[in-house]
Formats: sequence, C-alpha cells, structure tokens
Amino acid sequence: MPKRHFKIQGEPLLYSCYDDVVFIYIQFIMEDYKFLFKVVLVGNAGVGKTCLVRRFTQGLFPPGQGATIGVDFMIKTVEIDGEKVKLQIWDTAGQERFRSITQSYYRSAHALILVYDISCQPTFDCLPDWLREIEEYASNKVLRILVGNKMDREDREIPMHVGEDFAQRHDMYFLETSAKEAENVEKLFMEIAAELMEQARSKELPRYDTNSPTINGRTTSIGDSNCCSKLS
Amino acid sequence: MAIFRCCFETQLSDFFEPVVQKCTDPGCCCWCCSALRPRYKRLVDNIFPVNPQDGLIKNNMEKLTFYALSSPEKLDRIGEYLYQKAARDIYRRRNGLVVIAMEAMDQLLLACHAQTLNLFVESFLKMVQKLLESTEPQLQILATQSFVRFANIEEDTPSYHRRYDFFVSKFSAMCHSNHTNRDWCNQIRLAGIRGLQGVVRKTVSDDLVENIWEPVHMDKIMPSLLYNMQNARYPISQPGSPAPHGEEDRQDPPTLAESCMRELVGRASFGHIKSVLRPVLRHLDLHKLWVPNEFAIHAFKIIMFSIQSQYSYTVVETLMAHLDDNSTSSPEIRTSIADVLSKIIAIAAGESVGPSVLEIINSLLNHLRVSVSKLAKAEDSARHKHASKDDSTHEKLYQEALINALGEFANHLPDYQKIEIMMFIMSKVPHSEQDGDVLLQSMLLKSLLKVGTKYQTIQLNQAFPVNFLERLLRMSVGPNPDMRLLVNKIFHTLLDRHLNLEKLLKPTVDVDSLKLTVTKSSRLDAIFIRKHGGDIFLTLYESLELPSNTVENIEAAYTTTALICIELVCEESVCDLLRLIMSIQDLALTSSKLSLHQKYQLHAVVASLLALVPHCVPLSSLQTYADKIIATRIAKAPYLLPPLMRHYDSTTVPAGDVLLDQPQITSCLAEAGLDATQMARPHTGSLQHRHSWVDSGMGGSAAELNSMEVDSVSSSPGVVKKFPEEELTFESLKRILSPENVESRKEADEEKRLRLCETYRSASFTELVQHTQSKGDILNDKLNQLLKGLATKQTLRYLSERRDTERERERDDDRKSEADSEEERDHFDRHSPHSHSRSHSSDHLPPAPQPLYETLFPELFVY
Repeated sequence: MPKRHFKIQGEPLLYSCYDDVVFIYIQFIMEDYKFLFKVVLVGNAGVGKTCLVRRFTQGLFPPGQGATIGVDFMIKTVEIDGEKVKLQIWDTAGQERFRSITQSYYRSAHALILVYDISCQPTFDCLPDWLREIEEYASNKVLRILVGNKMDREDREIPMHVGEDFAQRHDMYFLETSAKEAENVEKLFMEIAAELMEQARSKELPRYDTNSPTINGRTTSIGDSNCCSKLS
Repeated sequence: MAIFRCCFETQLSDFFEPVVQKCTDPGCCCWCCSALRPRYKRLVDNIFPVNPQDGLIKNNMEKLTFYALSSPEKLDRIGEYLYQKAARDIYRRRNGLVVIAMEAMDQLLLACHAQTLNLFVESFLKMVQKLLESTEPQLQILATQSFVRFANIEEDTPSYHRRYDFFVSKFSAMCHSNHTNRDWCNQIRLAGIRGLQGVVRKTVSDDLVENIWEPVHMDKIMPSLLYNMQNARYPISQPGSPAPHGEEDRQDPPTLAESCMRELVGRASFGHIKSVLRPVLRHLDLHKLWVPNEFAIHAFKIIMFSIQSQYSYTVVETLMAHLDDNSTSSPEIRTSIADVLSKIIAIAAGESVGPSVLEIINSLLNHLRVSVSKLAKAEDSARHKHASKDDSTHEKLYQEALINALGEFANHLPDYQKIEIMMFIMSKVPHSEQDGDVLLQSMLLKSLLKVGTKYQTIQLNQAFPVNFLERLLRMSVGPNPDMRLLVNKIFHTLLDRHLNLEKLLKPTVDVDSLKLTVTKSSRLDAIFIRKHGGDIFLTLYESLELPSNTVENIEAAYTTTALICIELVCEESVCDLLRLIMSIQDLALTSSKLSLHQKYQLHAVVASLLALVPHCVPLSSLQTYADKIIATRIAKAPYLLPPLMRHYDSTTVPAGDVLLDQPQITSCLAEAGLDATQMARPHTGSLQHRHSWVDSGMGGSAAELNSMEVDSVSSSPGVVKKFPEEELTFESLKRILSPENVESRKEADEEKRLRLCETYRSASFTELVQHTQSKGDILNDKLNQLLKGLATKQTLRYLSERRDTERERERDDDRKSEADSEEERDHFDRHSPHSHSRSHSSDHLPPAPQPLYETLFPELFVY
C-alpha cells in the first residue's frame, strides 16, 4: 500500500487511483474530522455568548450584536494533536422566554459553557439557577466550564478568585475571557476540545485500535450520542 | 435580495474564477490520471462545467444517471464522491459548484429507486448536513430544499441507524433566524419550518426510525413553530417595503408554521399528545402569551381541530392540569387559561363519552371550589388590610370563566348527559349553611343554571328526576334569598319550553298582550304534575312565606308558578293551582312575619296569577271573575296590582270585594264542569293556613291518587300492596301498648325530668344558656320524645308520629344510597298513593309551629 501524505487544507488533493483500499483510506481522511463534539453556551442575556462564538468561529467581534433569538448554530473544525475535531457550537438565547427551546439543546451537549459578565454582579448571582437547570436538563457526564467574560472591562465587579472559587465548589473548569480583545477565547475552545477528546479516547480507544479503517470509515455509530458521536 | 445575489455572484466570479479554472480545467494535473480513474468518477467529474455559472451539464448528467441506473451497486460510491467534491468546494467557497453537486444528487435520488438507495442516502444526508453547517443562507436554503425533496420520497427499506437530531436542532435554530436582512431572515425561517415538516414526514410514518415524538425533539419543534406563528400578529414586512406577491405571500412563516403544526398534531397518536402539548404550554407560559390570550386560543383551536378527534378530550385534560399547576399564579392568568378552556371545550364535547365527561366536570368544579375558598380568604384578608380588592375581582372573573367553560361544555353534550351533569353538580352542592359554603353553593348553582340554560326540555319528568327535583325544592326554601333566586331561575330555564320566560319575568294582569305560547299539556306532563305538583306548590308557598324575600324573590316565584301554569296545568290540576293562589292570598292577609310591602306584593302576584289561569285552561267564567276583581282593584286599590314595588304608601289592609272569594272561584270551576269539591274543602278564613293547606293537599292528592290506584290495581291484579318500611305486626303493637313498657318509661321519664328541674333550679343563668345552646337540639329531641311518651293516651297519634320519624330516617338513608333505591322508590310512589301523601306530612313536620311540649309545659320555656 503506497504511503502518501494527503494535505487536506489549502491545495487541491492528489488522488490515488490504484485500488479500492487506497480509495477508502482517502475517504477516511476525507471525513474531515475524527471527533464531533457539541458545545452549548448558556448564561444570562447580554453576557457575550454570541460574541465569544463569533470571535472563535469567524475571528470577529460584532459590535452592537442584537439579542439572540432561540438558538444559533456555528461550526468550527480544529486540530488537536494532529487530529481533526469538529465542534458544533450551539449558542443559546439568554432571555427567559426562550428557555423552553434552549433547554432542549442541553441534553445532547458534550460540553456546557456557562458564561457570566465580570462587570455585572446579577449575571454572577444567577449562576446557581443555571446550575440547577443544567443539573435538570443536561446529561450528568457533561463537561462544564465557567467563563467570566468581558475581562477587558475596567469596571470589574466580580474578582477573579470569586469566580474561581465558585467553579471549584461546583466542580467546573474556570476561565476568564474577552471576546473583544480575543483573549483566552481560542484557549477556551481548544481546551474543551482537548479535554473532550481525552475523554472520548479513553473510552473509544479500543474501537480505534482495531486497525480497520474500512469499518471505521464507513459505519455510523449507533446510539453513542453520549460522548463522541460520529456524523451519521 | 437581488442586490445581495448580484454582489455575491460577482464576488464569486471575481474571486474564484481563476481557481475554478485551474482546478476543473481538463488540462489540470488531474487530467493525466483521469483516464485511469474509475468510470463513475469520470462521469461525475464530467457533469461539472468549466464555469460554475453555466450550471449542470445536462447531457453528462443523463449519462451519469443512466450509469447509476444500470449499475446500481456503484450508486453509493457516486454519492461518496459527490459529497467529497462538494465538501471541498464548500471549504473553498466555490458555491456555484456546490449547488451543482447538490442538484446532481437530487436528480440521482429521484431517478433511482433501487434498494441501494439506502447507502446513497447516507452521502446525500451528509451533503445536506454539510450545507446546513455553512454560514451561507443560500446554501442552507438549498440544503433544506433538497432535504424536503428527500423527505417526500417513500423509501422501501427503513434505515434504523439514521439519526435526525442534527436536522431537528438545526432546522429549529433556522426557525429562529435573526438575519439582519429581512428577506433572508424570512426565507431562512421558511426553510427551517419546511425542514421540520420534512423531518416529521420522514419519521412519523415509520415507527422503526427515530422517534420524533421524544420530548428532546418536540421541545425544539413545537416552540419553533409557535414562535413563528405568534409573530403573525406583528406583521413582518415593514410598512415601507413593498408587500410580497403571489406564492410568497401565501407562504409566509406564520401560515406555513400553522399548517406544519396541523400536520404534526394530526399525526400524533394518544401516547404522543402529552409530549406535543407540554412544550406548547411551556412556550405560552414563558412568552407570557396567556394574557392577552388571543394567540393561546388560536393555537389551541388549531390543535383541537387537527388532533384526531377521539383524543381531543386529552387536550382538555392537559389544559386543566395546567390550570392546576398554575394555581398559584395570578388570577388573570388563570382566568385566561379558563377562558381558553371554555373556547375549546366545546370542540371536545362532541367526542367525550362516559367517565371522561364527569371527570372534566368534576375537575372544573374542583377548580371552582378552590377558587371560592381562595376568594373567601382573600376577602377575609381584605377586611383587615385594604389591599387585595383587585385580586378578589379577578378571582370572581376567574370563577365566571370556569362557569362559562362548564356551560360551553354542557352545551355540546347530548341532552341526557346534561341531566346527568345537572344531577352531578347538584350532588356537589354543600348542604350546610356556613359562610364559605354559601359562596360555593351559589357558584355551583350558577353553574347549574348555566348548564340548565343549555338544556332543551322536552319532557318534564326527564328534566326533573325525582332526586334532582327534591334537592332543588329543598334549596328553594333555603335561608339565603340570593340562593332562592338562583334556584328559581333554574326552575325557569328548565320549565320554559315555549319561550315564554321573557314575557313572564314581571307579574302583570294584562295577559292578552303577552302573546303567550300555550299548548295542551301532554299526558306525561299531567302525570308529572299529579305526582309532584303537591310538592312543588307547597315549596312555592313556603318560599313566599319567608320574610327575607326581596321583590326579586317574589317575582321569581311568580314566574315559576306562571310557567308551571302554562306548561303543566290542565283541567285536573287547575284546582291545585287555584288553591295555591288562595293560600297566597291568605298568607298575605294573615301572616305575622311578612312586612306590609311584601303582603301587597303577594296580592299583586295573586291577581296576576288569577288572570293567567284562564289563558291556560278554558274557564270563561273564571276569566270574567278575574276581570271583575282586577277592575275592582284598579278602581279601589291599585296597590294590589302589579308592578311590584319595594315600597308602598298605602297602609290599609285590603278587605271585601278586592279580594278573591273562595265560593266564587269554586262556582266558576263547577260551571266549567270540573270537580270543585276539593276547592270547597280547604281553609277559608283559617288562621292555621299552613296546616289546613297541607291537610287539604293531602286530601286532594289522596283523592286524586285514589282514582289512579284503581287503575293500577285493575291493571295488575294479584299485586298486593306493600309498605316495606313499616312493620305493623301484632307484636310491635303489643310492645308499644304493653302497660309495663309504658310504666317503666314513665318512671324513667319522671326521673329524668326531676333531674332536669334540679339542674335548672341550681345552675346559674349563663351556665344554663351555655348548656342548652350546646345541646339544645338533643334536649329538644329528648323532650319531644318524653312528652310523646306521656301523651300515649292518644295512641294513634303516637303511632303516626313514630312512623313519621321512622320514615324521616329512611328518607335520609335513601338519599345516601340514591341511585338504586331511587327507582324503587319511584316505582313505589307510583303505586302507593299513601306514601306520597305521607311524604308531604313528613316533609312538613319539622317546622310545625307548636310542638306538643310547648303547649303542655309552657313553664319550662321561661328562659
């Protein structure tokens, strides 16, 4: 079997046309990701969830972003340890009235990013309510990350250690970010992807070790939505 | 939109032209090996034009289709390859080529019906998902269109492993699109709704595929649809922009969402209804769409009309359960929910059968009860603070809404169920007269009235089952005037078969001008009045006797009597009615409890009723007599004629020829050939009118029933009359009469009395009062018993009394076990005239004015 290096991004692909084995090998790579993770952002209205997503997926900070209605959806493929990881990011509306639809998105999430605004005490005070909601609607294995956004703001109301304490008490990861200054945004999503991949690996390893790309590339996993679900 | 597309396309050509040419140009690096590549790849490559604007190369597409059809095993590879190409093109933003790839896939999908389609579909769906993941609205809409096309294909093999959760999630998100460009926003939303519709169509018919009814899906689908529908109230097109035309106008998001919801709800089976309704209720809660509730009504009407009709009552139940959940929310919300309920309940009524009907009624009544107690509490606290005045008015509105819902529901049930419901409500009416209960009583009676107004009486014996009638009659002499008024109104609505009610609301002597509709009463009616006329007239009389009557009460009683007169009275029963009229006049003349105003009002009622009678029964001489009386009254005492007034200036006690004269009426009856003997018997000038009336009533009905008895006996020979409730055996008589029995009882009684006297002598006054108040009733009963014992010389009397108490007890038992004993008793009533007349006296016994001991031992009643 001829070993070839396929570059996926940037340049046109070179096609191997010798035999079917090679074709399937290509196809495996052509899946264009190995893991798919669903990330859901929650938190009060106006804490900057949409801006975080925009910053991460499109690299821009939309000034005067209107309130999200219902749910917004973005996709981003990142590379961790040479593996392609696709992140499906569901950006939920913070407004109370959309709670019924946003909650239905928690259940299938692999990671939940709970966002508050460091310059706004009430958004921090609501965190216990959010945790209750996550407890109720999300899977219990979900990865939970607490994010204090708008760290660029001068008028900080929540000191960093308060957020850290809270996160520690509730067994969450913690990070402060600024969508405006693009600070820690990349890091946030990359760490989530890495952590989820780690989790997935520890469980999925046997399956990937079977060394049978033929099967792996083609079959769709049935009912393993809990952790790493491949596109079906 | 046009501008956007224009920009987009120029951009495309500007940016990607060189790249495109470089890549798909046959002279490119791929060319050299293309000859060596598999045939299907070459075919696929050939469908793409050099310039994306040229679109799909049709000839080559046909070749590809032909190839796919002739060697279907290659179809899945073609799909894979197309998907790869498209994925790459999306990444490079060569949207024109993506569109072409999608089009090719669509065509292949439609062209091929082979079993191998299953694998092809995998790549197809991957492609759709890929397109949906892009941020380009154009691609998203394109993907949705393809998906919908796919959804409309009937696959012959189900694919168990296919998952649609991404599609549901994404389409729901699209339904909430907030694109800055209004046109795009609208189109994305439309696409989202169509996509959801597609998912539903694809999954709903096949139980083996993904269960779309899972809450995780429904919680996304329903709010998305509702969100688009509720926007219909706020027109989406801005006033400045030109209105959309034609097709697009018809397919705006709200309309499409509505039809999608209809389809979805229409496919829901029983087990799925809850998961459909729960998100709807939550959505309405969260978006605060209960107050005002136009949208809620709209949405629920859609649900009711599209749901499979046998499940429609589940919707009502669910809504009712939601009302339960909202028991702590503001009365406005509850009122709105109840209002929605009243709007949709009618739709469910046609389909509800059996226990579900009573369940719904019961639950409504429960809500009513809770609300009444809440109101009582609120008013209690309002008395202390002056705050929650507003709350209690809202609470009252809520009760109105509940009663409305009840009425609406009953309105759409068949008549026999209405009677059941009336009986059911009646059984819920509390009997005690505590403060809270009075409110509840009046609320329940109001609901009863509401149901009653929806009922079309045809035969009175069906409208008034014995139990129901008895309870109603008992309530009509209750202590609360408002309640009595309500009961009378119930009577009105149930009695009135010929729409005379409006005309008879106020007493009048000018009967001709009323243009009443009178028909000859049927035989069944005659039997009804013969059976129950006595009871009814007696109760009417008793209700008029109460000093707490307002003008409205008296008018209502008049209306009831007048309606009975029109609906029921025939030659045989006219005597009873006339006797009632005479008794009322006696009452007005002799009562010591009624005020002068009330007496005048009664006189006016008497005149009006007398004027009415000849219109129902052909009695020309009575007509002349009535005219004469009225003429005299107009001349001498106009205050004795209607209209009733609250206050009369006159104080004269009417006498002489302004009053109705017993012998005159009797002669009128005789003239018409009617049996006037019963008329002659009663109570002229008797002071103890009540007794006399009852006696005569007994006599009368007994006499009447005797004739009937002859019938029944002759028709059923060999039937021995039985009195199951009494045991008049020799032994029992002996026991009662045996001397030692009387002696020992006498002794015991003596002892008791002595002890009693002792206590009364030694104890202080307040103690006594306390003592007697606490168990005054027991004392009275005891005394009654004792003194009856003393009076055993009048053995017969004693016997009859005993029998009465026994019967009283039995009647109580009867009430407890209504249903089965009901028929029996009915039967029994029909065949034994005595029991009927006796029930009069036992009914009447408790309020008998002068108890025996009171006359015998007046000295005991000094306190």
